[in-house]
Amino acid sequence: MMKITQRLLGPVTLALLAFTVVMGLWITPPDTLLDGGGNYGRLLYVHPALAWVALYVSFGTTTIASGLYLWRRTRSMTMDRIASCAMEVTTLFIALTLITGSIWGRPTWGVWWAWDARLTSTAILGVLALGYLALRRANDDPADRARRSAVYGILIAVNIPIIHFSVVWWKTLHQQATVLTATGQVSVHGSLLLTLLVSFVAFTLLFAWLLRARYRLEVSRDTARATQQASALAQRQREGA
Amino acid sequence: MVEAKDGVDLTPVVPPAVAQRSRRRSIGVLVVLALAVVALLSQGLLKNLNYFETVDQALAQKSSLGTKELRLEGVVKPGTIDRTNTGASFVITGSGTNHVMVNAVGSPPQLFQPNIPVVVVGHFASKTSLLFECTQIMVKHSANYIAAHPNRVKAPNGSVR
Repeated sequence: MMKITQRLLGPVTLALLAFTVVMGLWITPPDTLLDGGGNYGRLLYVHPALAWVALYVSFGTTTIASGLYLWRRTRSMTMDRIASCAMEVTTLFIALTLITGSIWGRPTWGVWWAWDARLTSTAILGVLALGYLALRRANDDPADRARRSAVYGILIAVNIPIIHFSVVWWKTLHQQATVLTATGQVSVHGSLLLTLLVSFVAFTLLFAWLLRARYRLEVSRDTARATQQASALAQRQREGA
Repeated sequence: MVEAKDGVDLTPVVPPAVAQRSRRRSIGVLVVLALAVVALLSQGLLKNLNYFETVDQALAQKSSLGTKELRLEGVVKPGTIDRTNTGASFVITGSGTNHVMVNAVGSPPQLFQPNIPVVVVGHFASKTSLLFECTQIMVKHSANYIAAHPNRVKAPNGSVR
């Protein structure tokens, strides 16, 4: 069952992404967005889903895996690998979130970028995510690296609620929440909402697919490294004999 | 050199300073990170977490604001937009009768129009004036997305059903 699910992950992801594109570009009507700018609203099917994955799904995976690594009962290199691989995916999705947001901002707001609380805190998260990856590179000892990364990964998660509530706590140029609203009421019209929800599922599956691929690569690397070390040791032993 | 009876070198081997090197590198990364975060925050959030002042807030503290540069948010009053050779002039409103006249230089954003919230960057002409000299207009978009024609859905072939 697990194998079938894994095998289907790629094709289902691609199919849903294609479905999102068709729905978003051809099936759904334009948004009334400020009279005449209706087609900019189609970025709604990309930007929020990317942000959803970056901030909650992917970053959340790193945070949970980091917590599980620090907890003695569940400590394993598997957790460390999941946390680091998810952070790599997070970095990619944060970059895409910022890029698509900027593309939306230029025609809608009139500027590519605004130093408001939402945009700045998201950019800071991007820098912190890069910092996580840099910290891992800086440490040569696997156990030490895993422990420090886990602590750092949990600490920087403080930024997630700040990003989420920034549009509520402070006055920002960025609009308030469209989907994850405080009242639970979604302010998107029916047919647009359906496409939006499909995009959320599609990008979440894309995350799972990317994470799985990255994780498998990491396992292969570790195996190759261990094999290399074992053969080098065996050679030295033969030389010494 | 410490030698055993059979001539084998037994001098303790100094282990490579892996931990120390890692710690140094980690501290370096953390310092660079802290600098990057402060640099991002210094672009505005360290001074004020709010991106703009509303018309009501600006008028309430007008005397202290003087001609200082600020970002001001209000709704474009219908019938007041006058496009000029250098830009546009219009009125933005707050609650009640609060309003500010804006004299903007440069072309407004594509979606600029009456009845929408905008954020204008600039300063008041004087301490007592209600005229706001603006160098940039930004359109503030709402969180609502409503289909232009809810009952009509476009088919993939372009026809409207």
